[in-house]
Amino acid sequence: MAGGKVNSSSKILVFSTEKISDPAIDMAGLLKLHYPPTIYTISVPCSSSIKPRWILHAFEQGFDGVFIAADGTDCPYGESCTEKTGQIVNQTMEVMKEQGIDPARLKMAAICSVCSEPFVKHVKSFTEYLNKSEN
Amino acid sequence: MKKKIGVYVCHCGGNISDYVDVEKVRQAVENDEGVFLSKTTMFACADSNQKEMVDDIEKEKLDGVVVASCSPKLHLLTFRAVTERAGLNKYNYVHANIREQVSWAHSDNKPGATDKAIQIVKAAIAKVRHAESLEPIKVKATNAVAVIGAGVAGMRAAIELAEAGSEVFLIEREFFVGGRVAQWDDLCITEETGKELITRLYDEVMKHKHVTLFTGAEVVENTGSVGNFTMKVKITPRHFKLQCTEGSLQKAIDACPVEVPDEFNFNITTRKAIYHNYPSEYPQLPAIDMKNCTRCGECEKVCNNIDFSQKTEYLNLKTGAILLATGFDPYEPPKGEFGYGEIDNVVTFPQFKRIVHYCDDKLIYKGKEIKNIAYIYCVGSRQLDGENKYCSRYCCTANIHTAITVKKKYKGIHNFHFNRGIRTYGKAEVWYDESSRLGDIYLQSFEHAPPVIEKIGNQTIVKINDVLTTDKELEVVADLVVLVTGMVPRKDNAIGNLLKVPKGRDKFFNEIHMKLRPVETVIDGVTIAGASQGPKNIMESMNSSLAAATKSFSLVNAGELALEPTVAEVNKETCEWCGKCDEACPYNAFEKVEMDGKFIAKVNAAVCKGCGMCLPVCPANALDLIGLTDVDMESMIDALIPQV
Amino acid sequence: MSAVETNKVLKFDVLVIGGGIAGGESALNLADVGYKVLLVEKELSIGGKMILLSKVFPTLDCAACITTPKVSEIARHPNITIFTGAETKKITKKGEHHFEAVVLQKPRYVHVDDCTGCQLCEEACPVSVPDQYQYDLVGRKAAYIPFSIASPRAAAIDIENCTLCGACERACPTQCIDFTQTEEELLIKVKSVIVATGFNLFDPLKIPRYGFGEYRNVITSMQMERQLAPTRPFNTILRPGDGKMPDNIAYVLCTGSRDKSVGNPICSQICCMYSIKQAQLLMGALPMADITIYYLHIRAFGKGFNEFYAQAQDMGVEFMKGKVGKITEKENGNLLLRYEDIEAGVVKEAEHDMVVLSVGVLPNLGISDVFDNERLEMDPFRFVAQSDMLASPAKTSIEGVFVSGTASGPMDIPDSILSGGAASVETTSYLRRARV
Ligand SMILES: Cc1cc2nc3c(=O)[nH]c(=O)nc-3n(C[C@H](O)[C@H](O)[C@H](O)COP(=O)(O)OP(=O)(O)OC[C@H]3O[C@@H](n4cnc5c(N)ncnc54)[C@H](O)[C@@H]3O)c2cc1C
Ligand SMILES: Cc1cc2nc3c(=O)[nH]c(=O)nc-3n(C[C@H](O)[C@H](O)[C@H](O)COP(=O)(O)OP(=O)(O)OC[C@H]3O[C@@H](n4cnc5c(N)ncnc54)[C@H](O)[C@@H]3O)c2cc1C
Ligand code: SF4
Ligand code: SF4
Repeated sequence: MAGGKVNSSSKILVFSTEKISDPAIDMAGLLKLHYPPTIYTISVPCSSSIKPRWILHAFEQGFDGVFIAADGTDCPYGESCTEKTGQIVNQTMEVMKEQGIDPARLKMAAICSVCSEPFVKHVKSFTEYLNKSEN
Repeated sequence: MKKKIGVYVCHCGGNISDYVDVEKVRQAVENDEGVFLSKTTMFACADSNQKEMVDDIEKEKLDGVVVASCSPKLHLLTFRAVTERAGLNKYNYVHANIREQVSWAHSDNKPGATDKAIQIVKAAIAKVRHAESLEPIKVKATNAVAVIGAGVAGMRAAIELAEAGSEVFLIEREFFVGGRVAQWDDLCITEETGKELITRLYDEVMKHKHVTLFTGAEVVENTGSVGNFTMKVKITPRHFKLQCTEGSLQKAIDACPVEVPDEFNFNITTRKAIYHNYPSEYPQLPAIDMKNCTRCGECEKVCNNIDFSQKTEYLNLKTGAILLATGFDPYEPPKGEFGYGEIDNVVTFPQFKRIVHYCDDKLIYKGKEIKNIAYIYCVGSRQLDGENKYCSRYCCTANIHTAITVKKKYKGIHNFHFNRGIRTYGKAEVWYDESSRLGDIYLQSFEHAPPVIEKIGNQTIVKINDVLTTDKELEVVADLVVLVTGMVPRKDNAIGNLLKVPKGRDKFFNEIHMKLRPVETVIDGVTIAGASQGPKNIMESMNSSLAAATKSFSLVNAGELALEPTVAEVNKETCEWCGKCDEACPYNAFEKVEMDGKFIAKVNAAVCKGCGMCLPVCPANALDLIGLTDVDMESMIDALIPQV
Repeated sequence: MSAVETNKVLKFDVLVIGGGIAGGESALNLADVGYKVLLVEKELSIGGKMILLSKVFPTLDCAACITTPKVSEIARHPNITIFTGAETKKITKKGEHHFEAVVLQKPRYVHVDDCTGCQLCEEACPVSVPDQYQYDLVGRKAAYIPFSIASPRAAAIDIENCTLCGACERACPTQCIDFTQTEEELLIKVKSVIVATGFNLFDPLKIPRYGFGEYRNVITSMQMERQLAPTRPFNTILRPGDGKMPDNIAYVLCTGSRDKSVGNPICSQICCMYSIKQAQLLMGALPMADITIYYLHIRAFGKGFNEFYAQAQDMGVEFMKGKVGKITEKENGNLLLRYEDIEAGVVKEAEHDMVVLSVGVLPNLGISDVFDNERLEMDPFRFVAQSDMLASPAKTSIEGVFVSGTASGPMDIPDSILSGGAASVETTSYLRRARV
């Protein structure tokens, strides 16, 4: 990344979902499962509502990574969610490649409403990846 | 754009301010565009602060409000209500979560937490700047509730809902009502037996003209949402025409050549393909189990009420709310756990309840009279290695109660309780005390050294290193070993997936908030009751089912619901009807309409759930969610990155 | 109702006695479906014990954060009228759906609506007495605001300790202090009654061998709860004896429970869990401290409880299966516990610098005497008896009178709230029968 980072870790934007992954992320806090404070969440109703342009906007603005904490099969709005979110990710990755952005800077995983530990593991390892790849 | 935004940063009495420098947060945002007033407060949610906010909004004519505090799951509604009381439309309120997602998550890094809190509050301010006043969408609610499961919890809720004035559809998967409690004879807490209790509830259910009971019924489809669910219910015929007289029923049963394990008795006995669980079971009409029936026709020859021509039926029911009371399964030990399935005198507690039911003056199992009984507690619960980490709550009490009953009912019984620390909480302590007084022996194992069962010759021996006698190895020769099995979620829990009700860490259905909203789920209009939410005894199941009835009733009773107006919106200029949104929408909320000489998509706001699945598929980017537009989103993203 | 001179007759649908979390939940549910509710609370604030707690097991939510919004929802509800500092003296059942109650409104000597909670009266008042809402850990004035998140958050004058010096009156900027207020007796007509009078805590003075009251570093769990709460008296955890930060704390479970010698044979059902909770919070507040819990059995039975217990074990809380016989004090204020180590089968002694007695749940007596012509039955442990425990847990021996929360036996908060919900829906059904 232009400018590089001075002893701060990579900035990640997390798209969480109001009913499923947000509660898990809240619970991570409750259980004091620590993760880097450079991880920010914006919550949306459902992970298949994320527009690729939002993701691209985040990269433009200087986020190092975007993590989609997807509803997975728990989505209250329907089974198609997993597939649709997958499509959004693929589509966005195509554009990222075109624009010369490492597609690995976008990541998705299903985070169920009690998946606090998996969430923390994901964002930690993602941070490590981003820290490494940018130095 | 707003010019008079009020920002309140909460200490949460230290929960936030111990890790986040709230004053620094306040200072960092006080000069942000549009911020007119910024304050810190000890408890934003306290009455006094709410009053102060109302005063501020009224006096200063604030046009937008942000509170940075705990998770919106707790208090978004609280603060929306505050703005509303002050005469400001509640959608001009934005919530910033700086507790669960900041102070607690980063309690190891105070400067980092403070920095993050600042960006999050800035993002909330960025969002509120664009917020607009919105009016809720009003929809009619059907004053009917579907209660799924006719165990004690479901029946009790059905009665109370009907009394309160709702139409109730009580849907039971089995051919008979009563759930698990029908299987237990003696119950702890009162003198009433399980059967008596079920009879009492069933009579009340049937008394109510507003309750319709379906047995052999299962929900196979569910559409719609709070206020207006439509469920498709599959009704399996019982293949009986009328009220059958006891006499001809018995003849039909005798005539049936098929014998299968009787699940009602946890497979310790068999039954015919024509069956009822026990005489006078409710509804008092037997059923034919078509999975096992060979259609030999023997029964038809002796009983003319049998009707093989009955077909599976499907019904569509319209309801405003759903109350789930599908109960639990007893834990089924895998073969070999404490000798289960291998040593012939090892049974589970539910099986034991049935054995005691069938034995009148002598306790006999597999032809042998039982004197020494070893109970092994916590089987399937509190597992160190397995997944069930939880305590099943009911079993210590129910088992000790049963052990006392057995001792009083039969002569010469010796009870040995191999436990892991008895949990007869509350008033149940008196039974623990009573059983000790009656001479029951309690042996407690170390957490990592459960008792061991061995078959030596024809003796079954239970060995334990007993905590209470300083680690001495003790053994008991047992005539019967009872595995005190816990509660697990129903194996067939497809209904949970169908309704999208989330499960907790213990895999039981999960409530929104254990203390604030203990019977509601994240699915609006769906409540959970009884043991489907977690292990409970009968009284606790009743309390939760009555609490769930209250919530369901208050939803459908008003006849009208106010739904969130945050639904999808079509940009009429840019939409060129391609139909992609219509394909993506799981609710059929789109309609193709003609407007100004072209076709465009139109959203039916009462149907749209605001999930946003349509947003990314529109090639013209003509779709937005009200309250989460591109402008909202992009300004939040911008605000999250510190401007240097 | 002959002898009583009443100046007012008020009518409501339901009288709820007790403004703890259970009574509050019942009142809210009823008010939400349109019934008019009168909530009578004997203390100066609603919220019961829960509003005074620190965080709550097993989720570690902050108690104030859950209670205050509920409390303010109750306080603002247009269908709920609240009397604080009020006593229900007598309830007469005149017939189905027809109860008459006499409620005594004690004077607060402050006009609540005018009080801004500025605390100037507190500063001005020269009298200092133990603060009951901080469980006597610190003092308060005779003119005082009960606690910072009280509802109503308004001053009150403790007339028993007041010297009538008038300092507060002079200091009050809104002139809301009024020494002319007098007791008022009100006649209330309602159709139904909910008893939500909660529980009492065991008084450890009844077990002299634990030295409570004599050794200052022996405190009750409620006192520890206050030390851990956000509205805490000190800003940290202190030994009351000398203000030293403790680093070796013992918990004595079952104090006053499961103990026939003090007349209470039953298990209190919450003390294991709140002690485990406090232990976890203490480990956060005092990272260096050792915590030992002396127990007989750990009753971690509810949803998420066993996991919470395991979490405490993982954090390093020591669990000692042992019965504490006697506590003695050393010169430096430390305490010697003689206990029977059940696993080792020997009597041992251990030194701690602070001891917390996990006091049990006792019935709140007296409510049965309030009922005048019909008997409100009590169970053998003197909690309100549930006449149909399995099918209708909120019913009592008097038709039209329901019980909510810990008034019928020990319960934690989730159970109290469910019980509050059950009481409200049964009341709704009862009231509907009046209409037809
Ligand atoms: C061995 C044993 C002994 C016990 N003894 C006592 C005791 O002495 N005292 C006491 O208080 N408690 C006792 N209990 C606990 C008691 O059984 C439970 O509290 C009670 O059964 C819970 O009731 P419920 O209605 O929630 O669930 P259940 O009794 O499980 O009833 C659920 C009902 O839902 C139906 N159902 C499930 N899925 C569906 C579906 N998809 N569609 C439609 N219907 C469905 C089931 O067929 C069933 O009828 C005991 C439990 C066990 C295991
Ligand atoms: C130290 C401690 C820690 C605890 N921690 C937890 C925890 O972490 N998690 C948890 O789930 N539970 C916890 N609890 C339990 C919790 O406090 C109770 O479950 C809950 O307070 C019960 O609520 P209630 O409304 O039934 O009773 P109460 O809180 O006792 O409320 C009863 C109310 O009625 C009023 N009242 C009484 N008599 C009258 C009368 N005659 N007229 C008018 N008003 C009257 C009282 O003043 C009081 O306001 C804890 C308890 C203690 C003691
Ligand atoms: S109630 Fe008793 S037997 Fe059941 S799991 Fe809990 S401790 Fe074990
Ligand atoms: S809950 Fe625990 S401490 Fe309280 S009485 Fe029961 S066993 Fe004793």
